[in-house]
Amino acid sequence: MEYLSLFVKSIFVDNMIFAYFLGMCSFLAVSKNVKTAAGLGVAVIFVLLITLPVNYLLNTYVLAPDALIEGVDLSFLSFIIFIAVIAAIVQIVEMVVEKYAPELYSQLGIFLPLIAVNCAILGGSLFMQQRDFLNIGEATVYALGSGLGWFLAIVSLAAIREKMSYSNVPAALKGLGITFITVGLMGIAFMTFMGIAL
Amino acid sequence: MNTNNNLYTVIYTSVIVIVVAALLAFVSQSLKSRQDANEKADTISQMLTAAGYASKAELGKLGNTAVLDKYAAEIEKAFVIDLEGNELRTLGIEREGIEVYSPKQLKRQNYNIKGGPNKTGDPELPVFLFKNGRTVVPIYGAGLWGPIWGYISFEKDLGTIGGAYFDHESETAGLGAKIKDDPSFQAEFIGEKADFADANVFDIVKGGAPKDAEGKSVVDNKIDAITGATMTSNGLDAAIDTWLAAYSAWFSANAPKGCDKPCCSGEDHKCEEE
Amino acid sequence: MNAKLKETILNPLFKGNPITVLVLGICSSLAVTVTMKGALVMALSVIVVTGISSLILSLLRKTIPGRVRIIVQLVVVAMMVILVDQILKSFEATYAIDKQLSVYIGLIITNCIVMGRIEAFALGNKPWPSFLDGVANGAGYGLILLIVAFFRELLGSGTLFGIDILNRFGYVPNNLVILPPFALILLGCIVWVQRSIQKDLQEK
Repeated sequence: MEYLSLFVKSIFVDNMIFAYFLGMCSFLAVSKNVKTAAGLGVAVIFVLLITLPVNYLLNTYVLAPDALIEGVDLSFLSFIIFIAVIAAIVQIVEMVVEKYAPELYSQLGIFLPLIAVNCAILGGSLFMQQRDFLNIGEATVYALGSGLGWFLAIVSLAAIREKMSYSNVPAALKGLGITFITVGLMGIAFMTFMGIAL
Repeated sequence: MNTNNNLYTVIYTSVIVIVVAALLAFVSQSLKSRQDANEKADTISQMLTAAGYASKAELGKLGNTAVLDKYAAEIEKAFVIDLEGNELRTLGIEREGIEVYSPKQLKRQNYNIKGGPNKTGDPELPVFLFKNGRTVVPIYGAGLWGPIWGYISFEKDLGTIGGAYFDHESETAGLGAKIKDDPSFQAEFIGEKADFADANVFDIVKGGAPKDAEGKSVVDNKIDAITGATMTSNGLDAAIDTWLAAYSAWFSANAPKGCDKPCCSGEDHKCEEE
Repeated sequence: MNAKLKETILNPLFKGNPITVLVLGICSSLAVTVTMKGALVMALSVIVVTGISSLILSLLRKTIPGRVRIIVQLVVVAMMVILVDQILKSFEATYAIDKQLSVYIGLIITNCIVMGRIEAFALGNKPWPSFLDGVANGAGYGLILLIVAFFRELLGSGTLFGIDILNRFGYVPNNLVILPPFALILLGCIVWVQRSIQKDLQEK
């Protein structure tokens, strides 16, 4: 039950986009049509699922106070370690996927480099550190949940934007302006999940 | 120069990483004492606020040194107890050796109280007695986004709340963050009573605590929750219940006799003094 | 050359604003726009980080191996961010603010403005213009942050920099303004105003 509630919570209540604004840049840039949006969404889930457990292990067994050597607190290095792990894993994933699954690569490939600097990925690791999950299982469930939440957000925004291209929006508001406002309204809709006790 | 050579790439990356790590380690080590001093002064000013000496804003203006001076002047005794209420050891109260519990230490004790895989030992809970007769104890728990913690002070009867101060890491500014930023919320605690006989020691009630005819909160163990911050209020409620329940043995053993409830209506008590 | 430098500095503030025109750096930062104080510290931190990382990477630009370019950039940016975080924690005056900004300071690392300006400008230009470009983009970003924070603090709490402005006239703070989604709606309105003035930015 714990895992299920964490899972649901990280998708809806703690949604990376609507509750924390994380991963906004690529969220706004790559949400013009549903197909590419879904591609980026899958890539985010994938990378979160790999980096978060790895960073969890590093955080628990290396960075936390007294974890490596008694009396040594390496937590000031956490930003740099997390981001290095993310950049390295993205690079490795890119190479592996290119070699063994060229088809998947042709679909995901262009998004992978974008993801190293996607705030949702680093944000996931930082929140993991802040909330101290009990074990690697929780960290993985959290990664899957927040990845899915991000996927859900970008696909629904892309769908709305596809429809919106037929609407009569004021010239100055077209494109970026109305997208901001749409995301804001979607965010308010997502706030309704907050009151749910899990 | 060929910058794409393998050897060059490896050496370059290693040098950059080592230089950066060394620099950061140096900076972090040399600033650590200042950071710890800031954290300690922050913690102490939270306790002084809860004990009713000054508001947090006033203490903030005083600066770290003055806050520590004030604490050293006003603290009567500080010690650590276990769940049965036995005193384990004393905490330093001299100006140069002040010992308090940082949020990190509270977090560890929170695990110890609650049990589970993060438990590292039996709970060791701090108690701070101030010269104005108030007893300050900490609480710690989870809000909506992250940890919340704070201090509650009790009058001499060890039941009536004399003041409270709460802090948080990342509650929503303007909503959940009111537990810290809104003095009127903290003021609601003053004069209320903790009911150590009940498992629900203290209640933060959504929808309103019982009020008297003038609209003032009835003296009981209930206050109003913060509008729009249900999760933070619930988290604070749970944190207070968990921690005060852990202290209940000590409180029951040390409360002046006959003063439990209703307070100060019998014949012989010390708490009549105030 | 001087006209070019001037352009480098002025462009990011309005015409080429990183947030409203380049759509960079929206991620972490909107959550800190609830109060003017938080926005100001965040803006200053970003200015320092973009300026100095652009400077360092521009100095290193001829030596960086192509394949690990991104990692080297991230390491330098992360170093700057940690330094800012550690320094904020060390002073009495800024300790409380650092606590308030919590994880968002760390997220400056992945703030697209920093990486974006390094990739687009610092790696192809001399150190001094790169430094100015970084500072100016940080400032352009900070400007938007402060505008958003101005409305959110004024309407959401009735105060500015913590000083009571509206509450004394019986204003009831609007909780909706404090919630995260309102920052986006406000940003949409800022874009609207800007594009009404500068018609050439409008999208078809």
